[in-house]
Amino acid sequence: MVAEMTSKERVLAMLNRKQVDRIPAITGSTMVKEYIEKSGGSWPDYHSNAEMMVNTAGLMHTDAGLDNVVVPFGMFIESHALGLDVKMGRIDIQPSVRSFFSKPEEVKYDNFLEDKYVKTTLDAIKLAKEKFPDAAITAFLVAPVTLAGDLMGAENLSMLSIKCLQKEKQMQKMKEWISVALEINKIYARACIEAGADALYYSDASASPNLVMPEFYYEIGVPAEKELGDFVHSLGCPWELHICGDTTPIVEGMSATGANCLSVEQAVNMSEVTKIAGEVPVVGNLTPLLMVEGTEEQITGAVRKALDGGAKGSMLGCGTPPLSTSDRLKTWVKAVADWSAEKL
Amino acid sequence: MEDLPEEVQGLIEELDEAAEDEDLDKIEDLTQKLLKTGVDLEAITLKKLSFLVMEGEEEMAQGWTRVAIQVGLDPFKTLIEGLAEGMNLIGKKYEQGEAFVPQLLIASSAMYSGMDLLEPYLKREKGHTSKPVTVVIGTVEGDVHDIGKSLVKTLLSANGFNCVDLGNDVPASKFIEAAKENRATAISMSTLMTTTMAEMPRVIKMLKEEGIRDKVMVMVGGAPVTTEYASQVGADVSPHDAASAATWLKSSVNDFPPECERWN
Ligand code: B12
Ligand SMILES: [Zn+2]
Repeated sequence: MVAEMTSKERVLAMLNRKQVDRIPAITGSTMVKEYIEKSGGSWPDYHSNAEMMVNTAGLMHTDAGLDNVVVPFGMFIESHALGLDVKMGRIDIQPSVRSFFSKPEEVKYDNFLEDKYVKTTLDAIKLAKEKFPDAAITAFLVAPVTLAGDLMGAENLSMLSIKCLQKEKQMQKMKEWISVALEINKIYARACIEAGADALYYSDASASPNLVMPEFYYEIGVPAEKELGDFVHSLGCPWELHICGDTTPIVEGMSATGANCLSVEQAVNMSEVTKIAGEVPVVGNLTPLLMVEGTEEQITGAVRKALDGGAKGSMLGCGTPPLSTSDRLKTWVKAVADWSAEKL
Repeated sequence: MEDLPEEVQGLIEELDEAAEDEDLDKIEDLTQKLLKTGVDLEAITLKKLSFLVMEGEEEMAQGWTRVAIQVGLDPFKTLIEGLAEGMNLIGKKYEQGEAFVPQLLIASSAMYSGMDLLEPYLKREKGHTSKPVTVVIGTVEGDVHDIGKSLVKTLLSANGFNCVDLGNDVPASKFIEAAKENRATAISMSTLMTTTMAEMPRVIKMLKEEGIRDKVMVMVGGAPVTTEYASQVGADVSPHDAASAATWLKSSVNDFPPECERWN
């Protein structure tokens, strides 16, 4: 038996492959409408007001009982700071990037840390550390392939992912985009860690086999993520890697990046991927929509299935939907605790 | 192609290279030489075009479209049995899990690059074919994901449909307006987000309110959209990907009253 842990200890133990008192339940994005309203947040201010952001994200920990507190709320911060157009979405839709660059040389990032949303993220990390010292304060960041996709446009990323495997000239182009993305990633990562983040959660949504060639992921994606991950580790911080869609063909590559845990979607079979990942903890795979319309039975069933399949943390497949309800989030956390009490 | 005389095979290879380098004079010259050999250049060109589109070879597909134009091949035949055939072939492979999205996208660029060259010839001869069936297509309001939508459009175009593309983040009323204006036969809506799925029944409700629901077929699709959801919201169908959307629509238009009957 392991003595009772705080949420933060539990998450860090899982990431460091140590024993836990119970399986941690963690989240990626946390822009939940019910909690925004409950904490008095208003759209779109909660994206640029650190206090509103932390009050909302904090309810995921204090009310729902999740083990981490995650900021910011969307994957648009990096792009906004680089001067791309961002559409702010709605209270129930995350902001999205609406423009892209035509050449890597156009990307200027000297004043990256001066951006208002970047500043909000850093302030929110500091504030969350103060307010919730027992939770794992996690920064939600865009990983290199996806950032390169935001820089050049997702459709161009997809096409270049096959062309670069065929022609050396295209490969050079791809490498230039990726190296700019990595420079930006490192600036932001360092700032988040200096602000006190306990872990970095990287989404590489666009590295998915649903969008790019798996061979491209192995040849370019894995080394890029590893370079960033090694940098994060050199600053003493663990990191989590999420990739969307059916990642079964690339889990082996994901395991080779050095990520402290891999987060996968509902499109994969948990027991199959935990076998491929071996020692590397895998989390995720719960259908996000369960938090919007799932019954207690469905939620409990899905949680148990993932944990029986070898998941080391309980997590939704692809971010927490904005229309999630607090009672369902609690049902999820309870199911994790019950399973742990029985089987750990 | 392997059973062609060696001389012809050599010329075809040279033509491939000239096309890759976009050397127009050389393409013209080699086409003449090929014609002189007396081979069935029409059959070779169509086969080449479908293969090159399938492989996503944009420059070469363009080069061989020039060959087709130079030898006076029927532009519609060039499009349907050459360029579009290649798009359909890769679409089928994707449907069977044997190809990935990037392959569809580069095939799509290759097809369109050839189509651009054919465009002026297609127009000139338009008089002699029946009016193509029109599909109004877009991604619903609030959602900016449009790669999948564009692939549906590509496959529909490859199968001879005329697509009116409204882009992404399209308000419900725009679908209705465009359907009326173009006397559409079908509306195709995409969404990739669960939060914007509810836009689909909104569009269908508006169609009913405007009294034109029975004038169009409604297809809905995108990763979170299931067949059950489609029938629940009153859509006609949700084929599971872009290739099957084209197949379904092609067979369904036969049983659907023609445009003049519906819209008059
Ligand atoms: C690329 C991408 C983007 C790009 C989109 C670029 C563009 N121009 O389209 C960018 C970076 C802009 C983006 C933004 C966002 N995204 Co995004 N994105 C993706 C990603 C990685 C791939 C989607 C894709 O293009 N797939 C390839 C195409 C070909 O597939 P497809 O669209 O499904 O189409 C196929 C079929 O569905 C079908 N089909 C499509 N339409 C139709 C229509 C009919 C009638 C039929 C029959 C068939 C059909 O045919 C196609 C081919 O066969 C997915 C994750 C993933 N791996 O799937 C997330 C994903 C879709 N995004 C998501 C989210 C949440 C967002 C954002 C809100 C924020 C974010 N996390 O980045 C914003 C969106 C804001 C907004 N208001 O829309 C979520 C959606 C979650 C959900 N289910 O609700 C996903 C699943 C991942 C995630 N959590 O980040 N995204
Ligand atoms: Zn995802």
